[in-house]
Amino acid sequence: MSELINLSLTDQIIGLADKSFSSKEITGAYLNEIKKKESLNCFISVFEEESEEKALMADENISKNKARPLEGIPIAHKDIFCIKDKKTTCGSKMLSNFISPYSSEVFSKLDTAGAITLGKTNMDEFAMGSSNETSFYGNVLNPINEKLSPGGSSGGSAAAVRANLCSFATASDTGGSIRQPASFCGVTGIKPTYGRVSRWGMIAFASSLDQAGIIAKNAKDAAIALKYMSGFDRKDSTSLNEEVKDLQKEVDADQEHVIGIPKGLIENIKNVQVQDSFKNAISILEKDGAKIEEINLPHIEYSLPAYYVIAPAECSANLARYDGIRFGHRSESVSSLEDLYVNSRTEGFGREVKNRIFIGTFCLSAGYYDAFYNKALKIRNLIKSDFDEAFKKVSSIAMPTCSDSSFELGSISDPIEMYEQDIYTIPANLAGLPALSIPSGTADEMPIGLQLIGNYLEEGRILNLANKFQKLTDFHEFK
Amino acid sequence: MKITEQDLKNISLLSKIKIDEETSDSLIKDLESILTMVNKMDELDTSKINPLTHPIENTQTLREDIIKKDIEREKLQELSKEKESGFYLTPKVIE
Repeated sequence: MSELINLSLTDQIIGLADKSFSSKEITGAYLNEIKKKESLNCFISVFEEESEEKALMADENISKNKARPLEGIPIAHKDIFCIKDKKTTCGSKMLSNFISPYSSEVFSKLDTAGAITLGKTNMDEFAMGSSNETSFYGNVLNPINEKLSPGGSSGGSAAAVRANLCSFATASDTGGSIRQPASFCGVTGIKPTYGRVSRWGMIAFASSLDQAGIIAKNAKDAAIALKYMSGFDRKDSTSLNEEVKDLQKEVDADQEHVIGIPKGLIENIKNVQVQDSFKNAISILEKDGAKIEEINLPHIEYSLPAYYVIAPAECSANLARYDGIRFGHRSESVSSLEDLYVNSRTEGFGREVKNRIFIGTFCLSAGYYDAFYNKALKIRNLIKSDFDEAFKKVSSIAMPTCSDSSFELGSISDPIEMYEQDIYTIPANLAGLPALSIPSGTADEMPIGLQLIGNYLEEGRILNLANKFQKLTDFHEFK
Repeated sequence: MKITEQDLKNISLLSKIKIDEETSDSLIKDLESILTMVNKMDELDTSKINPLTHPIENTQTLREDIIKKDIEREKLQELSKEKESGFYLTPKVIE
């Protein structure tokens, strides 16, 4: 049954509907593969028995013609999404004993659509990292070359999709945490518009930047998965009360595209292989009928510094909730209330999380608030205005996803070098725009991604363009 | 940008995270390099620009004021190691 796990989500939906195979068979095949590839460390928890039971129920629904849209499809959730009565660790020692009393909206929506949750994927601690090495549960290995990083923070989700351990996986993206691992693992990843998918029950890192999304085998699959995950949610005050378009239809529609390329971008791509692959991808789309326009994003080079004030500032406030009292790690060596706070936090957080809390605390402290936090927010406004202006004449913007392909695990110790991983992905988070990454070639025999950024609520357009590209190329095929 | 020992003490106090002496040197190095990178923002004159706290202009949606039992207190309190009669327990704060 190993061939079942190689199928795309689209083909699995068809196969289940016409009873070519059962959910029991496909779920069993994935569970076997997860066991076989345990050393990749993609999963923090696996729900074997429950998945098998749910598969039987799904098969019954299918036989009674009561199948829901994703009936019997085995998927994985990043361990940042709460699932009721299940351990939700967010990759941290702080939450290693946290059994969630409620479910995230992302889980509930996909569960209601009939998907089966195989387990929860590994990730950088509190989604802070670009290599998966900050996880309390050890790093994930890149399935294509196990010496290399799968990227982060959604490295477990990207590696699980690449290793054929699930049909698709949920993920989250604060500065590139879906797109960078998608690029490193040669899979398709999309971060929708901020507010498109509910953040209810998704453990917070930087609330004005965090957005849930999908990692899948191709754009068509991502469109289907995202369709059932999106929508207004009263429980999330930043959720957008906008109609959810039929992404499944839109991904295959006949659409015209005008692609914007930021002025000076191509010359500044240092890695020649990344530059060549980017030029090649654009020429493929141009030959297919897309119009190419040069655009101006004059403030984009300030995205990284602005992000490394805003994200840590919001993180330091969000992570203040971990006090050792109500939930999470509670220190044993305590003689006063102050000790309880300090020791629980000192023992529970890893180094990278602490670094970000320190930076955020510093930037928000008296005397520094204006110089750092307020300044960064003003730059955020300039960056958003640049995009607003550009989208008056283009329907999407293309950039590489990352400057390079994956790097060796343990090879980057300088924090700035690690942060620069997200140099192309951060702008979309600051502006709240939808953005995706699709495989577009290789550098040093490892995949690299093409990033497409869309206008607000136009994830359908970039998915449509990505689908066109995948019809013309085979970079997304697992070889 | 320089970070002093005093800065480090203030940050530690405010964030309620201990910084041990062995790691303080490398931490200062990390923080300084991050803040130096961040200082690139000073190249831009932003005196006439408004700060943008949030990417989406969205009106706060209000819900009906109806009591729901989405999450029960007992279930939430199961997560705490120290509790009694519906209260959370901490070390004594009043002598």
